[in-house]
Amino acid sequence: MRFNLAKLTSQERRFRPLTWDVIIIVLLVVLLITGSLINPAFLTAFNFSLMLPNIGEILLIAMPMTLLIIAGEIDLSVASIVGLSGVIFGLTYQNGLNVWIAALLGVIVGVLCGAVNGILVARIGLGSLAVTIATLALYRGFATAAMGNKSVTDFPESWTNFGYSTIGDTFLPQTYPIIILFVLIFGVLTHLSIFGRRTFAIGQNVEAARFAAISVLNHKIVLFMLTGAMSGVAGVIYVLRISTAQYDNAMGLELSVIATALLGGVSIFGGVGTIWGVAAAAVLFGSLEALFNLQAISPNIFTIVTGSLLIGSVMIPLLLGRINFMRIERARMSKSEEGQL
Amino acid sequence: MSQKIPSLQSDNFKLKSKELVRSRESGILLVLILVSVATTLINPRFISGYGLSDLLLNTAMIGCLAVGLTPVVIARHIDLSIASATGFSAFLTAHIIVGQGWGVIPAFFVGACVGAVIGAVNGVLIAGLRLPSLVVTLGTLYIIRGIDYQFANNKQFTAEKLPTELVDLAQDKIFGVPILFCLVLLLALFGVWWMKFTRFGRDLYTIGSNPQAAEIVGIKVFSRTLFAFVWCGTLAGIAGVMYLSIYAIVDSSAFLNQELIVVTAVVIGGVNIFGGVGTIVGALLGAVLLRVLIGALVALGVAQFWQQAINGLLLLIAIGIDRFLSRRSETKIERIRAEKKVQTP
Repeated sequence: MRFNLAKLTSQERRFRPLTWDVIIIVLLVVLLITGSLINPAFLTAFNFSLMLPNIGEILLIAMPMTLLIIAGEIDLSVASIVGLSGVIFGLTYQNGLNVWIAALLGVIVGVLCGAVNGILVARIGLGSLAVTIATLALYRGFATAAMGNKSVTDFPESWTNFGYSTIGDTFLPQTYPIIILFVLIFGVLTHLSIFGRRTFAIGQNVEAARFAAISVLNHKIVLFMLTGAMSGVAGVIYVLRISTAQYDNAMGLELSVIATALLGGVSIFGGVGTIWGVAAAAVLFGSLEALFNLQAISPNIFTIVTGSLLIGSVMIPLLLGRINFMRIERARMSKSEEGQL
Repeated sequence: MSQKIPSLQSDNFKLKSKELVRSRESGILLVLILVSVATTLINPRFISGYGLSDLLLNTAMIGCLAVGLTPVVIARHIDLSIASATGFSAFLTAHIIVGQGWGVIPAFFVGACVGAVIGAVNGVLIAGLRLPSLVVTLGTLYIIRGIDYQFANNKQFTAEKLPTELVDLAQDKIFGVPILFCLVLLLALFGVWWMKFTRFGRDLYTIGSNPQAAEIVGIKVFSRTLFAFVWCGTLAGIAGVMYLSIYAIVDSSAFLNQELIVVTAVVIGGVNIFGGVGTIVGALLGAVLLRVLIGALVALGVAQFWQQAINGLLLLIAIGIDRFLSRRSETKIERIRAEKKVQTP
């Protein structure tokens, strides 16, 4: 339930419903505190160094996915793009290309995949859900056809170190400066730039956005290319982290990415969402998994909790919204009674 | 597709729309026959007796799931938890019938009940609380699989433990047609009757075409949508029992990550992912086409690696054709409307 805040009076504005991105940050803080109370090892540097790499790629792709969902589209092919760009990276490197150029090629393949998605959705006018289910099979098929059952593992050591080692003695994996940089870039892009405002405008009301002279089709293509590019980056990082390029890298990752975005308070109907909510959701996922590992709770329970949180992320704001609606009604009624007196 | 076919106002339109719907299913059938004939000409073993019944047996599961998912998609919803429901039903059914020493019929009954409960949970959350189906069923996808893992606890049931009648059922045939595929046909027949000739089914088309309007004209959106989800879950449960029969082995990862293949079959069958358009027959044909194509690729000796890419391409072509057809009917209807305006000033 969405409220038109402009229509509320200043007094009523204190009834603004709690949005899910705020709730998720609160949940994260609560989890960190209770986790460290339950198990002193939870908030240690070592534990973080184990936890953070797992959520790196998910976070990288979840951010452009957030923009895409805000604009009212979705991309299910991201995991296949991760696989394909990793395969291209591995194959071109194996065939004697410079490792930098090979990595760049991996990212470029990601951009191309995204562009194909974008053109099919925006130019030809096909539904993004159906298109990206198709390209999910298509891109994974290309990766399989290119790589077969083989794999590439002999990457230079300095590069694979980059994939899984930490910076010096700190808990931060070497990939994290890049990931944090991207979080900042996407934060600015989404919430402080014209590009972000246009994305929200498209998600809120496509017609209105069109009348406001926003080039909706091109904007959507750019969003798909952005998602493809970040999937390409994630593909290269994924290969380096596990030191292996093979066709089934990151199989099934798309649902984790979308779950992270939705858990971060992005509305599946478009027009609503924040980058900090999504970042918090990714860290929440990671810390929850780490805590479960520490406490030797079966990962199956983690899967169940993930699903429940996902349903909670749509159910709780709805209930809060209803409660809020009643409170506003009551406030208005008491006010009109005062007016009569 | 953002533009919908406007409401049909004259017999002329009805005739035209009927033609269109017909052309869609007959189109798939045509492709199906073309692919089969072409492949048989190149490799005669493709459609020989054994090959055909094998093909139908392989289609039974995806076909069953496609028939289940179709009403949900027509009502503008989606069920991503369908593969988890199938896997969980397969394991739970195996657990119960092995424990109790039950046979085939109770197995299908148990599977259907497990699926129906899962479908009812989805349906209540989506139709009752009006939560978005994509998010809810993504959630239940995880929850059901998690429960499955936890419950199974690395156990598995193999052919020796499962009742022999159930394992043999996959080999049984009626007039050369596998009995499991006959079951799917029976379910599809009920589905066709329900979606085509009952108020209950027609309402789902209305809901899918325009949810707000359906609400306003007083259609019982809750009960219709709930039933669609229960139907989908039930068929997923039955497909789980088929899994037991066909593969004769089950563990907690049964049918993992197969949900999108079912969606692919349904969309290839001409069911519009945005609701309101499609038929059960089409979806079943879509599932068969998907299987025939895989079989044809194997028979033609195309490297297995290319199969997935070709699947994706097929889906793209299918939705492209959908788009083209709906565009064409839109322009037709607009033209007829314009002509009408000229006639009656």
